[in-house]
Amino acid sequence: MSFSAPWLLPALLALPLLWWFLRVTPPAPRRERFPAVRLLQDLLPTEETTARTPWWLLALRLAAAALVILGLAGPVEQAGTLVHDRGPVLLVVDNGWATAANWARRMAAANAALDRIARSGARVALLATAEGPSGAPLAISPPMPVARQRARLALLRPEPWPPDRAAAAALLRAWRSRWGPHGAVYIADRLADPGSADAAFAAALARIGPVTELAALVPAVRVLLPPQDRAGHLVARVAQLPQPVRQRATVLAEAPGGRILARFGVEIPPRAALGEAAVPLPLELTNRLSALRLGGKGAADAPSAAGVVLLDERWRRRPVGLVSGDPANANLPFVGDLYYLERALGPYAEVRQGDLAALLARKLAVIVLADRVLPPGPETTAVSNWVAGGGLLVRFAGPLFAAHPDALLPVHLIAGERALGGALTWGRPEPLARFPAASPFAGLAVPADVTVARQVLAEPDVALARHTWATLADGTPLVTAAHFGAGRIVLFHVTANTAWSNLPLSGLFVAMLRRLVELSAGVAETPGRAVLAPAEAMDGFGALQTPGPAAGGLTADRFAASQGKAAVLPSPRHPPGLYGPPNGRRALNLTAALPPLRVMPPIPGARVEALTALGRERRFGPALLAIALGLFTIDLLVALGLRGLIGWRARAGARRGAAALGLVLIWLAVPSAARAGIGATNPALVTRIAYVITGNPAVDALTREGLRGLGEFVNARTAVTLGPPKGVVPGRDDLSFYPLLYWPVTANAPALKPVAVTALNRFMGNGGIILMDTEGGGAEAAGSGAGFAPGVGAALRRVSRGLAIPPLTTLTYENVLAHTFYLLRDFPGRFDGAPVWLARDPANRNDNVSPIIVGGDNWVAAWAVDANGHHPYVSIPGGANQRLLAYRFGVNVVMYALTGNYKGDQVHLPAILQRLGQ
Amino acid sequence: MTSGPAGHESFREARRAEALGASLPPLLVAARRVAMTVAQGVHGRRRVGQGDSFWQFRPFLHGDAVTRIDWRQSAKSDRVFVRETEWEAAQTVCLWADASPSMRWRSRLVATEKAERAGLLLLALTALLLRGGERVRLMALGENAQGGRDALEAVARGLARARAGEAGAGLPPMLPVPRYATAVLFGDFLDPLAHVQAALARLAAVPVSVHVMQILDPAERALPFQGRVRFADLEDAGETLIPRVEGVRAAYAERFARHEEGLAQICRGLGFGFATHMTDQPPETALLALYVTLAPDAGALG
Repeated sequence: MSFSAPWLLPALLALPLLWWFLRVTPPAPRRERFPAVRLLQDLLPTEETTARTPWWLLALRLAAAALVILGLAGPVEQAGTLVHDRGPVLLVVDNGWATAANWARRMAAANAALDRIARSGARVALLATAEGPSGAPLAISPPMPVARQRARLALLRPEPWPPDRAAAAALLRAWRSRWGPHGAVYIADRLADPGSADAAFAAALARIGPVTELAALVPAVRVLLPPQDRAGHLVARVAQLPQPVRQRATVLAEAPGGRILARFGVEIPPRAALGEAAVPLPLELTNRLSALRLGGKGAADAPSAAGVVLLDERWRRRPVGLVSGDPANANLPFVGDLYYLERALGPYAEVRQGDLAALLARKLAVIVLADRVLPPGPETTAVSNWVAGGGLLVRFAGPLFAAHPDALLPVHLIAGERALGGALTWGRPEPLARFPAASPFAGLAVPADVTVARQVLAEPDVALARHTWATLADGTPLVTAAHFGAGRIVLFHVTANTAWSNLPLSGLFVAMLRRLVELSAGVAETPGRAVLAPAEAMDGFGALQTPGPAAGGLTADRFAASQGKAAVLPSPRHPPGLYGPPNGRRALNLTAALPPLRVMPPIPGARVEALTALGRERRFGPALLAIALGLFTIDLLVALGLRGLIGWRARAGARRGAAALGLVLIWLAVPSAARAGIGATNPALVTRIAYVITGNPAVDALTREGLRGLGEFVNARTAVTLGPPKGVVPGRDDLSFYPLLYWPVTANAPALKPVAVTALNRFMGNGGIILMDTEGGGAEAAGSGAGFAPGVGAALRRVSRGLAIPPLTTLTYENVLAHTFYLLRDFPGRFDGAPVWLARDPANRNDNVSPIIVGGDNWVAAWAVDANGHHPYVSIPGGANQRLLAYRFGVNVVMYALTGNYKGDQVHLPAILQRLGQ
Repeated sequence: MTSGPAGHESFREARRAEALGASLPPLLVAARRVAMTVAQGVHGRRRVGQGDSFWQFRPFLHGDAVTRIDWRQSAKSDRVFVRETEWEAAQTVCLWADASPSMRWRSRLVATEKAERAGLLLLALTALLLRGGERVRLMALGENAQGGRDALEAVARGLARARAGEAGAGLPPMLPVPRYATAVLFGDFLDPLAHVQAALARLAAVPVSVHVMQILDPAERALPFQGRVRFADLEDAGETLIPRVEGVRAAYAERFARHEEGLAQICRGLGFGFATHMTDQPPETALLALYVTLAPDAGALG
């Protein structure tokens, strides 16, 4: 306990004087007007007892006066002692990447420390241990009064790179010799520095007098490492300091523009430093990812540069189509055309096989034709159009191909093939030469045992060298390539199996194919030594900004740890972010270069406190003044009462006032929720859409948001007024108030209880409509939602067991549902293309309205609107029109539920007109 | 209406007179009601006599002075007429009510101000006298003797004027009063006894038959206050701080009784009637007592 203005305390000595004054001074007289004052004048009283102030009123006044003096003196609890003499104190603040997560608390701690220093009047200097984005070297600000130092402190930001403890240690040593040991306050991140200058830093700091170290006792640092391609999946990895209990991190997968494509959890086992989880997205969507981001609500998941991994082309997975000239034997082990290709491409690309037309029907990044001749005609046209649109066509030679070379080739070929080895030739199989520098294969090591025994030959040409990406040792081209429209055609002059060379057996084959796939999708290759300029830099909180003045370019080969060189550790010169031209951005991630997380030991001899320890300073002054004010108010009332100025009327008024105050207090005490509940209890007063509570909070929240979004759309466009949606549990809640029941079916939905089956059957029998949505489907399902909800077909069968579902048919333009408000031909949701099922011939009893509608296009995700008015889910394949159509379908369903076959006439309108015409 | 402090002051006066005037009709009604309760006693002298007012014409008789013939009337017929005037009852009753600020006060014990009660009694008495045919005159500057139908309203207006004007003095003014007139004075007479005696002695010198009606608030007699009180006079007597009212109550009562005794003695000495009326008593009682006191004189006049 201390006082911020202790010089006021001697005023307490004046209290006895006050007591004496109050004691001798009688209370103020009451004033009366009186006509016969003349008769009163000079009357001698018979008793000589002057009215005195009552003792309890005296005590009250003295207490109030004492409280005022104490309150003004400003008693402060838990002041702590950070300052030991009048010399300048050094405030050292870590502002490396690890501090962003709890930056506000660190600033609060620093300000609390400044509060204490300010009370002692000492000056303070400031050292931030990470360099600023301007690239200026670290410096200690000169000692200055606390008020001016606060402004400097407020300018500090967490930086997206590690602190430079080595430079800081040098500065600390200089400070010690210049100013002497007057103490320091260190707001630490407690993470060991990759530069291993920690010991020097700690020693230098410890020499500056007594050190108070403020740090989070358990460093809550969580780092999102760059994901890895593993067995066809992108695997997100989250690292943290080992914790004794199981942790769960939430990762957001973002598309360009910040739209969130997926949100998934990563479990980190107890006492583990790393947790992994596959990104639950289909391949096409994985290729659209631009970043992964920690997105939980915990302190460790707060925005920071270490919680963001920017994804560039290296993480894009591209579907590759394989076509063989001999489909029957294409996959024969060890001899098939596609056998080696499939194994080389499979681990990091999605490989599809089949007939060329079927493959071209879906999006492909690369098509590999192994000894497949393209006959002139529609097939050639289709493939050349595809390549001209940006595709990468990789062709392998073979016997068929050598006999009939076609048009889609990078170079002109000499008919026939050249045999370099074998029983009937003099030559020996030829090894490969080093790859030319301009080749995308540049840098790949060439094994000496790879030889080519047979190949097709290109016609010698002036431009041949420019088109050649790989040659044999004798200079004949092995791989040639040429641009074709926006795309590219690459030709391997050998077969894709071991018939002509043993290249497919080597690791080089895998590396070459991988480089080729990386080239696809219009991404031009970047020469390895080209300097890429920074385009967007990340700040300490993980947001992309304009690069700072110190940011410089980086050569292309230094973006990943490869060929023995470590990845670049971000610094003001190389801030994490995106580099290079717009169509070839490379990402430099902070976490790619971070060493494993380790805790830095405390500064030797330092007093270690939690970050919040200094924040618990309590000032009693205002409370004391408030109590004194209350006492003075009581005193005023008492004085008025003694003087008779509060009469009966005033007392009645006070009673009324007290009653009113009591009513107000009671009103405040009644929970607002209870008040809101009044009037909202009768579900029949508002038309509402109900939805089945699945028990999965994410799905339920999505459904609620989606139905609310649909409700707003319906209320804005139609005469229907829908209330907020209501979650129900069939069998527990009364369903008879709701015209429509939305039922999201998840893959793990359990079978229904008998009571729920009964309730739903009665609901359908009484005219209710159930709208079931599988929200995507398994891989075999139709539509763009395929693969989003594997296993949901079985779940649908499971949950609908026992329900009285009539025979179903698909929804078409001819159905009433397509006419009830809008005229619709498509019925998309977030996805498109899945069929919508409804009763084939509904019972006449219920207005010919189908009691059930089943679909898989995840309508609620398309309808959902978040608190900011944005649509949190992108529509797939996309486009604003799809979302509008989804809303229109929702309006039609609501109208269908509310009006039945009202628009049935319109369906039969042509027939009616025809009949009228006759 | 002029601007400036003087204009502002006169404006305020006019407003106050207006307010008082507005309260007069109810006061008049109350005064008539109070007067009705008193038995009809005083009768007018409706007979021929000395006076200025016309009474009647009568035929000339022998012995009448020729100068009394009314030629104008006589010319209308063959007979000769004499004009007779009504016998003038010269005893106009002069009334005065104390309009000083000390009268405009009431304690918490009663609902009526002293001035209000004095006005009520005055008007009630006026009504009675008018019914008896007497002439009534307010003792104030510029007031004339009133009689007849509108006299009561005229007196009421005069009373309001007296109240609105800063009449101030707590004692009857020095105005010419008809000799042998009857005067009735309403007031609290709390001024020093010497002043009261001087004022009354002036009236006794005229000579006038006077009746003094002292109007008091019960609080003025009982001093029902407690504790430490600062008493402020309504006029100019200043303030007095009484540390403990209970302690001086007995002394005050004694002094007050002495004051009243002195007042009664003065009136007795001058041959005036004297009565005391407390505002917590019904006005009818006071009016009856007043009437009884006045009656012998009225009878003597007849």
